[in-house]
Amino acid sequence: MTSVIGSRAVREDAWGKVFGQAKYPADVNLPGQIYGVVLRSPHPHARIRRLDVRKARELTGVAAVLTASDVPHNSHGVLFRDQPVLVSERIRMVGDPLVAVAAESPETAREAARLVEIEYELLPALFNPEEAMRPGAPALHPEVHGESNVLYHLPVVKGDLAKGWASADVVVEQDYSTQMVDHAFLQPEAVLAQVDERGHLVVQAATQYPHYDRGEIAHALGIKVSRVQVKTLSVGGSFGGREDISLQLVAALLAYRTLRPVKMENSREESFYSHCKRHPMTMHYKTGATREGKLVAMEARIVGDAGAYASWSPNILRKAAIHATGPYEIPNLRVDSYAVFTNNPWTGAMRGFGAAQPVLAYESQMELLAKKLKISPVEIRLRNMFRTGSTTATGQALTGSVGLEECLQKVAPFLWKEGDRE
Amino acid sequence: MKKRGTGLSCTWYGTGYGNGFPDVSSAFVEIHDDGTATVLTGAVDVGQGSSTVFAQIMAEELGLNPEDILVCSGDTDVTPDSGTTAATRQTYNTGNAVLKAVRQAKLRLQEFAARKFSCPSPEGIEFKEGMIGVRGDPSRSMPLSELVWEARLLHGERFISAASFTAQTTPVSLENGQGAPYWPYAFGCQAAEVEVDTETGTVRVLKIVAAHDLGRAVNLTQAEGQIAGGVAQGVGYALLEEVELTEGRIKNPAFAKYLIPTALDVPEIESMIVEEPEDTGPYGAKGLGEPAMLPTVAAIINAIDAAVGVRITALPATPEKILAALAEKERGGSGD
Amino acid sequence: MVELELTVNEKTYKLEIEPDERLIDVLRRRLGFTGTKEGCGEGECGACTVILDGRTVNSCLVLGVQAHGRKIITIEGVGDRRRPHPVQRAFVEEGAVQCGYCTPGMVLSAKALLDKNSDPSPQEIGVAMSGNLCRCTGYDKILRAVQRAAREVSGK
Repeated sequence: MTSVIGSRAVREDAWGKVFGQAKYPADVNLPGQIYGVVLRSPHPHARIRRLDVRKARELTGVAAVLTASDVPHNSHGVLFRDQPVLVSERIRMVGDPLVAVAAESPETAREAARLVEIEYELLPALFNPEEAMRPGAPALHPEVHGESNVLYHLPVVKGDLAKGWASADVVVEQDYSTQMVDHAFLQPEAVLAQVDERGHLVVQAATQYPHYDRGEIAHALGIKVSRVQVKTLSVGGSFGGREDISLQLVAALLAYRTLRPVKMENSREESFYSHCKRHPMTMHYKTGATREGKLVAMEARIVGDAGAYASWSPNILRKAAIHATGPYEIPNLRVDSYAVFTNNPWTGAMRGFGAAQPVLAYESQMELLAKKLKISPVEIRLRNMFRTGSTTATGQALTGSVGLEECLQKVAPFLWKEGDRE
Repeated sequence: MKKRGTGLSCTWYGTGYGNGFPDVSSAFVEIHDDGTATVLTGAVDVGQGSSTVFAQIMAEELGLNPEDILVCSGDTDVTPDSGTTAATRQTYNTGNAVLKAVRQAKLRLQEFAARKFSCPSPEGIEFKEGMIGVRGDPSRSMPLSELVWEARLLHGERFISAASFTAQTTPVSLENGQGAPYWPYAFGCQAAEVEVDTETGTVRVLKIVAAHDLGRAVNLTQAEGQIAGGVAQGVGYALLEEVELTEGRIKNPAFAKYLIPTALDVPEIESMIVEEPEDTGPYGAKGLGEPAMLPTVAAIINAIDAAVGVRITALPATPEKILAALAEKERGGSGD
Repeated sequence: MVELELTVNEKTYKLEIEPDERLIDVLRRRLGFTGTKEGCGEGECGACTVILDGRTVNSCLVLGVQAHGRKIITIEGVGDRRRPHPVQRAFVEEGAVQCGYCTPGMVLSAKALLDKNSDPSPQEIGVAMSGNLCRCTGYDKILRAVQRAAREVSGK
């Protein structure tokens, strides 16, 4: 028998998926279920002056209209729990959840949400991380994160930069920026929550981490972990966008309060507002090399827009700093990486997790250096790339598997050389 | 005029939670009377194929087919916590936990079989094509199903196990960033061929050649699938996608205005698997999920420069930005 | 409420629906054909693709009443575990399925193409599948699967 490892074994759920039998959370229902919706903030930064849900509650067919005061422990978050389940006072971004409504039909729930009366006191908002990090900028999270909007700063320092620049024959310096993007998984968030015959809260969802969700639900509702079941159904893509908990918390809250099964489904527009985004980053890079094409010095400043809540931002900007050199040995360097709060949609995990953005900068720098030095793009990389035994910017020795050179050797023949064109 | 060029990009990626955070995965294993087996993990298969990978690991160890393995995942009432499906960690972390767990149950089976077949050591017992017996001696072997059944009914033996695996990293210093924050690292290299229309500024990606060092491919089909999917997301990131904001409000929260690549936007993709085995990984595996999308953006940006001599420094490389850069170049501005 | 009579997967249903009810809601909520997925609600992603009188439509853009007296094929009407459609078998064998959310729509678009043209060129396949978005696979194995199914259907 040939080894099963390295084979082309067919994925176990493929047949169920081609027949349309795989169950995603929107595909499951329970008798007597009601439908939940979330009313979200239209403003990026505001205080709730008055919130009146009486008309919404009086609408026929409405089962529950819940606000912040109905949440026993009104916070969640992968690192800090700085994000409210429902905002009690201060709104920090467009899309912040304000009120949860459940009704006999989705249409009635949406109609009730429209009947909620809210008076806002609009506050000056911060949309630019550079402005938000200046001293004197209004602090967006004084309670959890203190008076500065700089949520995280990591310097990575190695070698002697003055010596490095002195030995550089060529230097390239450039600003780079990457945009905010969405995971755009095909399956919008959906959830079915119920209190079952054991009295346990059972939440069927599409999540990347059911055990984390279970902990957040137990925390928010003040119940024991052993009384909460999170059951993952088929997940329609995630790419990091299902790491922070989403509708699961609100649906659990509504089910717990009404003792009825609660179904929630995001529209695509709601989905855009109810999960995090990839961090836009600005990156200033200065890189120096010798005439022989050896990298000798690098300075980089990376600023990531964390948006309104922390999510994984410290870890993501840490990852950006650690990977900022690219897969190359640079003996002298300084990298400063910052995560900064603004009133933009919050940013968090997405495929690449902070190691994706600096690629634009470090691989552009390699190209610019190669041009100045008149050596090929392959050559400059071969002269600097990590191999087994190399040391990274953080001083880590790469003792194990480092297959980069083989990757480059495989790809190099495809690149056009001088004169290949025309 | 349409002009073509090629571009290169090399990347690296530290897998796992990293930075000394306890990165633990767990797995429960049970081997059934008929020689099939169940593995329970909290790890969610979000489409990338982790459940198939775990079935393959179980099957490899027990000499079974992956179809003989029931993988139960992501239910907090029954499965142990295996961490999040993120950080390119499930094949390495939970894969290691599954491997560790199944080898525990397997060892007890081997000990039982060694006694039965008068084999001096459990290591002399092998699992092959549904059979268990003494290595190199087909006369001293029997179907796994019969042995498990016999062990339970005649001897009250059960083959169940549980194990956890923790990845090893250290936190970086907040003073100078020094430390060993991730392990293992995956590497990748991609080349892009693009065609730039100098009249319209549009970029067509014609081909991507992608070589990725993932340690060991547990499932070749799924590895190729990760690479092609990563390339497509990279194409979107490089050329199409942007959440546009006005005063913090999303202007384009719809697929009509937030464009992701369609079947007509993705290039021909040639994927090449590089297997530089990692000692600490299951069968040498590291991971591939996130690394697959990393090199694409810069390969495309460098190819655009090679084609028309302009350097795009702000993503995405829209037709407007390319036309503006071409006009700037015409005026004799600093190309780069 | 209005009366609606339609045939889904060769079975005729009579029911009452709202005049502004979308076909996708009739199929999913009233009739339980949950293999039809909703991804965007505006006809951009193709996850809700069904075959209406031989032509693919986005069921999120069609009103239930517009299907009155017509024949619909949903994914539930295309093959089963004993007799998979060649497109379904090819999707499984080529590894064209990852998260699977786009899969029903993809399978129906491919089936509709092959029903009309059993020997499509790669370009024709690309165009036929371009109304169905996928975020996982990069389309590579999906397009290969359609080619493989075409070879089987056309006997080439």
